[in-house]
Amino acid sequence: MSVSSNLFGTTKQYRSQQMHDSYPVHLTDFIQPFGLLMVLDWPTLTIERVSQNSQIYLGVCASDMLGGSLENFVSLSEIERVHKALSHLERQPSVRSAYLRLCIELSEEEDNWQRFDCSFHFIQNGSESDAEEKGIKPRSEDETIRKQVILEMERADLHSDLHSSDFHSMEMQLQLQTQVAHSIAHLRAIRDIHSFTQSAAEAMQRLTGYDRVMFYQFDEQSAGSVIAEAKLPEDVSYLGLRYPATDIPALVRQFYQRGMVRFVPDLRADAIALIPHSACHGFETTELEVLGNSPLLDNADADTLPTDLTQAVLRGVDPCCVDFHLNMGVAGFLVLALVKDDSLWGLIACHHKTPKYLPYSVRVTAETLSQFVAAELSSKVNESDADYLLQIKAIQSDVIAAVAHSEDLKQVLVSPESRLLELVNAKGVAVCLDQDVTLIGDTPSRSQVDTLIEWVLAEESPDLMQTNCLSARYPAATDYKEVASGALILKISAIRRYLILWFRPEVVQTVNWAGNPEESMQVDEQGQVVLCPRNSFAQWKETVQATAYPWKKAEVESAYALKNAIVGSVLKQADELAKMNRALSRRNQELDSFAYAASHDLKEPLRGITNFSNILLRRHRASLDETGVKRLETLVRLTKRMDTLIDALLRFSRLGQTELRREWVDLDEVVQKAIDDLMTGREESASIAEIDVVRSLPSAYCDPVLIGEVFINLLSNALKYTDKSKPVIKIGQLTETEQIEKGWDIDLSYHSSVIYIRDNGIGIHKRHYDNVFRLFKRLHERDSYGGGNGIGLALTQKIIERHGGSIWLESSQGEGTIFYFVLNYD
Amino acid sequence: MVKTSQMPLLVIEDSDEDFEMLQILMEDMSVSNPVYRVKTGDKALDFIDQFEESLPGSEVGTTVDDRSPDSIPRPAIILLDLNLPGVDGREVLAQLKRNKRLQEIPVVVFTTSSDPTDICHCYQTGANGYLIKPVDVDQLERKVQAFVHYWLHANTTSDWGKVNLLR
Repeated sequence: MSVSSNLFGTTKQYRSQQMHDSYPVHLTDFIQPFGLLMVLDWPTLTIERVSQNSQIYLGVCASDMLGGSLENFVSLSEIERVHKALSHLERQPSVRSAYLRLCIELSEEEDNWQRFDCSFHFIQNGSESDAEEKGIKPRSEDETIRKQVILEMERADLHSDLHSSDFHSMEMQLQLQTQVAHSIAHLRAIRDIHSFTQSAAEAMQRLTGYDRVMFYQFDEQSAGSVIAEAKLPEDVSYLGLRYPATDIPALVRQFYQRGMVRFVPDLRADAIALIPHSACHGFETTELEVLGNSPLLDNADADTLPTDLTQAVLRGVDPCCVDFHLNMGVAGFLVLALVKDDSLWGLIACHHKTPKYLPYSVRVTAETLSQFVAAELSSKVNESDADYLLQIKAIQSDVIAAVAHSEDLKQVLVSPESRLLELVNAKGVAVCLDQDVTLIGDTPSRSQVDTLIEWVLAEESPDLMQTNCLSARYPAATDYKEVASGALILKISAIRRYLILWFRPEVVQTVNWAGNPEESMQVDEQGQVVLCPRNSFAQWKETVQATAYPWKKAEVESAYALKNAIVGSVLKQADELAKMNRALSRRNQELDSFAYAASHDLKEPLRGITNFSNILLRRHRASLDETGVKRLETLVRLTKRMDTLIDALLRFSRLGQTELRREWVDLDEVVQKAIDDLMTGREESASIAEIDVVRSLPSAYCDPVLIGEVFINLLSNALKYTDKSKPVIKIGQLTETEQIEKGWDIDLSYHSSVIYIRDNGIGIHKRHYDNVFRLFKRLHERDSYGGGNGIGLALTQKIIERHGGSIWLESSQGEGTIFYFVLNYD
Repeated sequence: MVKTSQMPLLVIEDSDEDFEMLQILMEDMSVSNPVYRVKTGDKALDFIDQFEESLPGSEVGTTVDDRSPDSIPRPAIILLDLNLPGVDGREVLAQLKRNKRLQEIPVVVFTTSSDPTDICHCYQTGANGYLIKPVDVDQLERKVQAFVHYWLHANTTSDWGKVNLLR
């Protein structure tokens, strides 16, 4: 066994990390000693390679077997069965291997028979089906494809008494089946995944007798953690420990994913070399070269290439794997894959502190159990998760129903306050609806949230961003990691700045690793990072900071559902708004034409009343007494007043009906003309007033006549409503800075700058800021301040609104009023 | 001399009160012109239609009653209200100005409407004057006075020759 000791000697130098993941552990010419392995040509069954331990199992020297046929060792009837089984296997590519129990006569003279558990599987041209899958070697019938059979033989029983062992073996087989049937029945009834895996681990331990049976589950990063464990009472528990992804190389992971079962009864057992036919003439040097280097698939002769032993249970153990397990105190193991939906969900790892051999039948039974477990995984649920899921769903449908029926999105989102938090189990939330940001619960400050929103909007991130370590993506978040280490950010509409940001506080978490994962990465003399098995598997606590509990799938789904509901409701609202707008503009038009027609028709009888009253006064005065004359005069005065009101109504409605005659005009000129008109109209009051354009006005695209009227109205109001002996009126425009200081967000690409008219008049009480613009609304008694008709400001507002602008005011009683307005350029 | 006082005036007006007021005021101003009146747009159109076919009636009436249109002579001046029952005053104006035999008769619109679009429209259609009926009686008086002075006394109508011949 000189070769096998060399094996360890040459490979103790550990591999680099990249190498680790792709190292072809399956291409090897070493096997474990618990059976005999032959590589046979198909269909001739010529022995092309055989393990060096043939003497032990068959009493024949390996080199004597090579080149001969399997028929030399197996009776004709048995060979027939082999042929039949292999032909059957060949026709069914979905079946991996065939099993036969062959009876082989070890020596004729002693009538010495041995039963072997024989497993057959095909490989192609020395490299199994990999090459075919990867498209390197297309499947065809020509000479490039050469099928070989791997035959693995294990002694079926250790007793030589044929008859008793036959009986014993049958009984044992049935016992195993019964045991597994019971286990399956029991496991099937369990609903919760944790109890299920725990019971499965215990069933596996009962079946196999291993010291420790563990269920690993892989996470997204391929790190495994122990989720169930059956162990000896005195042993330390590994439950909850995490194993870094590097513990299982990617290639090996792939093999497991395809359902590989790994059985190593004794990690310390010496490896047995496979001897190829051609190696009868000094193979040893070639063999060692192959082992020492990466596999030389390209330039080596097929006969000297290592055999593809992926599927072989006997395949030799990679030294990395040996060290790993020995360091853990394991002497023998069985690992079964748990494949769910075609991906590797986890593993069942069975460890034993001393070497442990499992008969073929027990292994097959264990495999059956593991496959049952894998198949059942999807029907099991996490009960604590399921309860939580139900709770979330209830809140979700509550919120969604509320959003769908709500008129006021903000209101429904922020009250009751707890609901939005419960929806995703967050501790804080920021609801941003355009400029309006509402903070609920534990959140960063308003300015921090604002900056975060800016960042989110600038990021080319998906609609939903989730992180349990915000500072990793957005370093500024370190400042408020206590409240917002976790963030779930929902962009409802980037254009409208509709966002919801949920926050979770920092939870200083401890992750329990099985040993320090850093330890398995070491730097070698060349400065390369190499992987080597850790020495310590004692619990190694890693403290993780600035991290929150991760967002669960159900929570993220809740957030999505909310988004859809909001988008739906906003769209619905926009629809309704458009509908209302159409109805409103139609009604406005109707109202305008109604007012117009009505005022015409009102005038006629009014004129009749006036005229005939006057006739009475003129022609029949003599027949009236003094009171009669007085009352008739009152009647005439009232009709006059009614006439002015109807006129105002007429003008007001006409304003809504006529087209604007817009042109680019210099507002300075418009104001000057308005001042001139005013001066000629009311020389007495205007002459003593001081009216100054203190800042030159811009040009505007507007109807100059109507805008002139705006200035006249505003100026005459300023002259009218004053108690000062010298009214002072200032006209100007605000600078951009002043606008910003005022907090008025006016897009100057669509609007003119803010124009103001400031007086030192009597001022307007705050409660009347809106009233003053109402039609026919007066704030003072009829005859005071020149007796207005309550139409000027209503008209003014209507003119400005027809220009797509708006008018508002600031006032201080006794000191004066400032009217501000902007016009739209469209 | 031209006796303008003999030129017949046609008033197209639906309001009795307005017409009565007009009469009173014109009476005060000693207007002697024969005044005819139709109350609706439809009757005004009937009146226009008869001038399509035949020559105008030669009989000159002095009554101010609402007669059947065919008994109304060809007027020398028309005072037209816009808001009429049935066919609108605007349409009557258009028909008048489209009629080859009537289009030269001056039409003065006398209406409540101060709507600029109405004013523009009427002049475009061919109105010769536009007077807005005020509610105030003094203003009304001034307007009627202006009408009487200008259209009845001062203005020379196309009928001048005919009126002259008759005398």
